[in-house]
Amino acid sequence: MNIITENTFYLNGCGAVKDEPETVNKIPGNKAVWVGIFAELTEFALFFIIYFIAKAHYPEQFNQGPLQLNTLAGTLNTVALISSSYFVAKALASIRVNKPDESIKWLWRAILCGGIYLVIKVWEYHWNVNQGIQTNTNKFYTLYYYMTFNHLLHVGWASGSLIWAIFQLKSGRYTQSNHLGLTAIASYWHMVDLAWVIIFPLLYVLR
Amino acid sequence: MFKLNKLNALDISWIMLMIVTLANALVAETADKSLVITAVICFSIAFKGRRIMDYFMELNHANRTIQLFMRGYFYVFPLLIFFADLFSEELAILTTL
Repeated sequence: MNIITENTFYLNGCGAVKDEPETVNKIPGNKAVWVGIFAELTEFALFFIIYFIAKAHYPEQFNQGPLQLNTLAGTLNTVALISSSYFVAKALASIRVNKPDESIKWLWRAILCGGIYLVIKVWEYHWNVNQGIQTNTNKFYTLYYYMTFNHLLHVGWASGSLIWAIFQLKSGRYTQSNHLGLTAIASYWHMVDLAWVIIFPLLYVLR
Repeated sequence: MFKLNKLNALDISWIMLMIVTLANALVAETADKSLVITAVICFSIAFKGRRIMDYFMELNHANRTIQLFMRGYFYVFPLLIFFADLFSEELAILTTL
C-alpha cells in the first residue's frame, strides 16, 4: 500500500489522486453502471435459480444434456471471454500510464475476442441443430438456449461499448486523467465475463 | 514498481484462469457425475469469480458495499449449485405445485 500511495494515481479515471488510490473504497466507474451490473446479475441469478428447480424436476434430461453439447465450443468461448477481460484490464492499465494508442490496441484485441465468441456461438447453434438439438427438444436445451442467447446479446452490446471507448480514446475524450467512462465500460464487460463463469460449468460441465 | 506488480497480477490471473478453465473442460469430457466433482467445480467457479473481480474488475480495494455484494454472489451461487445437487429430491418436492 505504501508503494502505491507514493505515486500520482488515476485509477478510477476521474482525476489525479495523490493521497490514496482512487479505487480504495470507491466505486469503479460510476454509480449508473453498477445499477446496470446488479440488474443484469439479478436477471442471471433468476436464470440460475430456474435451472436448479428444473434440474431437480428433470434430473435425467440435465444429466444427459451436457453430454450432447459441444464442450470444445463452450471451452473456446470461455477462453475468448476471459482473454477479452484480461485485454480490457490491460487497456485500462495503459491509459493510466498515458498510453492511449496501446490502450486502443488492447481494446481491439478484446473486441476480436468478443467477435470470436459470437462466431463460435453461432457455429455452435448450427452444430446443435444438425445434431437435432433445438429449443424445444427438452427442458435442459430450452434453458441452454435461453441462457446462452441472452448472454450472447450481452456480449454483442458490450462489444459495441468497447468500440465506443475506442472512439473516445481516439478523439482524446478519454485521457490519463479522465477515463471514468472507460472504467465503467470495463466493469460492465467484466460482469458479462463473470456471468459466463457460472453459465459454462452449469451447461457444459456439471451433470 | 506498482505498475510492474499490477501487470504481473493481471498476467498471472489470466494464466491461472486459463488453467482452471481447461481443467473444467477436462472434467466435462472425462469425469462421471459425483458430489466430489460438483464440489470441485463449485470451488473453481468461486475461485475464477474472485480472481476476475479482484484483479480484472479491481474490486479488491473498492467500495465495500459493491465488494460485499459481488463477492457474496460468487460465494452464494457455487454453494447453491452444490446444495441444489445434494438436496435435489427435497428441492423437487418443495417446488412441486
